[in-house]
This record gives sequence, C-alpha cells and structure tokens, in this order.
Amino acid sequence: MADHGLPLDRVWEVFRQEAQGDPMVHGGSVRAPDAELATHYAREFFGRRQESERLWVIPRDAILELDDPDLLKPPFDRSFKRPGGYVLKHKLEAARGRAGTPPARGSDEGVE
Amino acid sequence: MTVAPARSLGPTESAALAELLLTLADDEFILGFWDSEWTGIAPILEEDVAMSSISQDEIGHARAWYELLAQLTADDADRIAFGRAPDEYRHAALLNHARGDWAHTVARRLLYETADAVRLESLTGSSYAPVAELAAKMRREETYHLLHWNAWLRQLTAAGGEARDRLVAALALRWSDAQSIFAPLAGEGILRAGGILPEAMAALQKRWHERLGQWLSAAGLSLPGPATDPPQPSTAGRTGRTPDFAWLHSEFTLVARSEEGATW
Repeated sequence: MADHGLPLDRVWEVFRQEAQGDPMVHGGSVRAPDAELATHYAREFFGRRQESERLWVIPRDAILELDDPDLLKPPFDRSFKRPGGYVLKHKLEAARGRAGTPPARGSDEGVE
Repeated sequence: MTVAPARSLGPTESAALAELLLTLADDEFILGFWDSEWTGIAPILEEDVAMSSISQDEIGHARAWYELLAQLTADDADRIAFGRAPDEYRHAALLNHARGDWAHTVARRLLYETADAVRLESLTGSSYAPVAELAAKMRREETYHLLHWNAWLRQLTAAGGEARDRLVAALALRWSDAQSIFAPLAGEGILRAGGILPEAMAALQKRWHERLGQWLSAAGLSLPGPATDPPQPSTAGRTGRTPDFAWLHSEFTLVARSEEGATW
C-alpha cells in the first residue's frame, strides 16, 4: 500500500447487535483515518448484508484495558465468591409470588 | 420486484419514459462496472470492501431500472443489460472513461453522486408511481454513497500536496463530460407534460451546480467551471462512445456472449 500521508493506522473496534434486545458483541476491528470513514467501514464490514441491527464504533485507544493478573486472577482461593451451591429457585418463586408475576418462561431449574 | 400499479401510458409517453429509464439504468450499470474494478486494489483493505459493496449497490439500482423498463417494453432485463451493441447504451459521457487513479475515481464519483442525488430527489415527485417509488428507495442508499465520497473529498483535500492536486485536476478534466448527466432527452417535452419528469433537465443541472458548489467550497475548492455559464450538455452527451467503453463492454458482456440465450 502506498504511503500517501494519511493516518491509516488508526484502529476502531466494532460491536454489533444482531437483533433488537440482543447484547452488543465484539465483531472485529477496522482501520480508518477518521471517525466518519470508520463508521462507513464498520457498516460495510458488519452491516452490508443486513446482519446487524446496531453498531458501536469505538477508537481502540479509548478503551481502558485491565489485564493485571493480580487483579483478575488473584492467587488465593476465591471459590466462595462464585454463586455455585446457592440455590435461587425457591427465593425467586417466593419473590414472584409476592410481586404477583407469573413464573418466567422456560424453567428456573438451572438458576442457582 | 413488486412496484406500485402504474397508470396507463400512451405510445409516445411510453417511448419517452423508456428513454428516461434507459439513461438512469445505464448510468448506474456502467459506473458500477467501472468501479468494481477496484476490487482487490483499492488504497486500503477497508476501502476495497466499501468500494466493491457500493459498486454492487449501483448494479442493484441498474437492475431495478432495467426491470421496470423491461415491464414497460415487454423485454427482458438481462437482454437489455447485456444484449446491446456499445452504441446502443445511453449512459452519460462522464462514464465513458476508464477508472483512472484513485483521485480520478473520487472526482467522478463526486460529480456523479451529487448529480444523481438531485435527479433522484426530483424523480420522487414523478407522476408515474413506479418511478417515484424506486427513486425514493434508491435515495436512502445513495445518501450513504454521497457521504462516503464527501468523506474522501475531505481526506484528499486535507492531505494537500499531490492528493489534492490530482483531485482538482480530475474534477477539471471531467467537468465538461459530467454535464451530460443532464443532457436533454428527446422525449423530455412529453415527459414534462405528463409529470413523469417533474422538472426540466436544465433546472436539475442548475441545482446540481449549486449543491456541488457548496460541497466543494466546504473543502476549500470551487466549481471546476463557471457556474453562471455552465457548459451546455447536448443530446450527443449520451450517445458518443469511446474505446475505453468499448473495452468495458467487451468485458461485461463476456459471460452473456459465451452462450447466448442461456438461462443463468
């Protein structure tokens, strides 16, 4: 690629929503010299086949990254912070009863 | 494709509409083919995908116009698109030229897309419902194209130096041929009388100069030619053909010619 003086190496991260109500999921990244072209390229890469309901385009340098193992993977046993063994099912049923809302669709069996 | 029920047309009105549809379809078709040639070699990967996609959009618009024309003339859209001799195409002279360098492509796109926007906007008021409906639908997509080429106008002018110089030179080079987008049609009087064409081509051309002038001036450029005394398009602007186009024609008819009458 020819060097024509444009800052082509600015990277933008693109998140996409596949259907209304779905979470925004990281789709990938594009390079573009400015915000407007970044949105155009995001649209072409992640929306030209009408596969996205919504896109978020974020300059990579605006993202705060946290990857310190001391913070994310501390060396002590933290299993007590996991919800396993704490059965929510009956508490949820009771709460729904108080609120007068019908049980959620599907089953609560897996909710712990 | 389904279109709104059309009012009935007399034979002269029908022939005039067929001429208009052919110009609209051929413009989109030929531009789409020229710019599809950037696939694989555009300045950056992202632009490669964008340019290919935009070119496909134009072929899609051409198809819609060809299908409408085929309904009107009891013809076949593929036959019209691929089955004519080079001198039977009616695209504007602006589209007679090879894609050139990137600045040339951006310049031609700017000239064409701004003109097409003015033309489509006007056609949404057509008395012939299928034309009004298609124009409205295409405008939604063309608005994005317009933004894209305006973004490139800003990139190339902001970069300055050779990028800006090449763009300015390409705009000047194609200014005269670009006027042919608004070349008067043989049946324009008939189309105007029936409201199929809501405004005269000359009026659209004038509005195009105003709009383009605003876009260019926002980027620190001015119209490549005098706005008060614009080059007059002639009907020949849509009939003259070049060796460049003869080459493109041989390319895009290659597959269709390989087995005439085949069903694809």
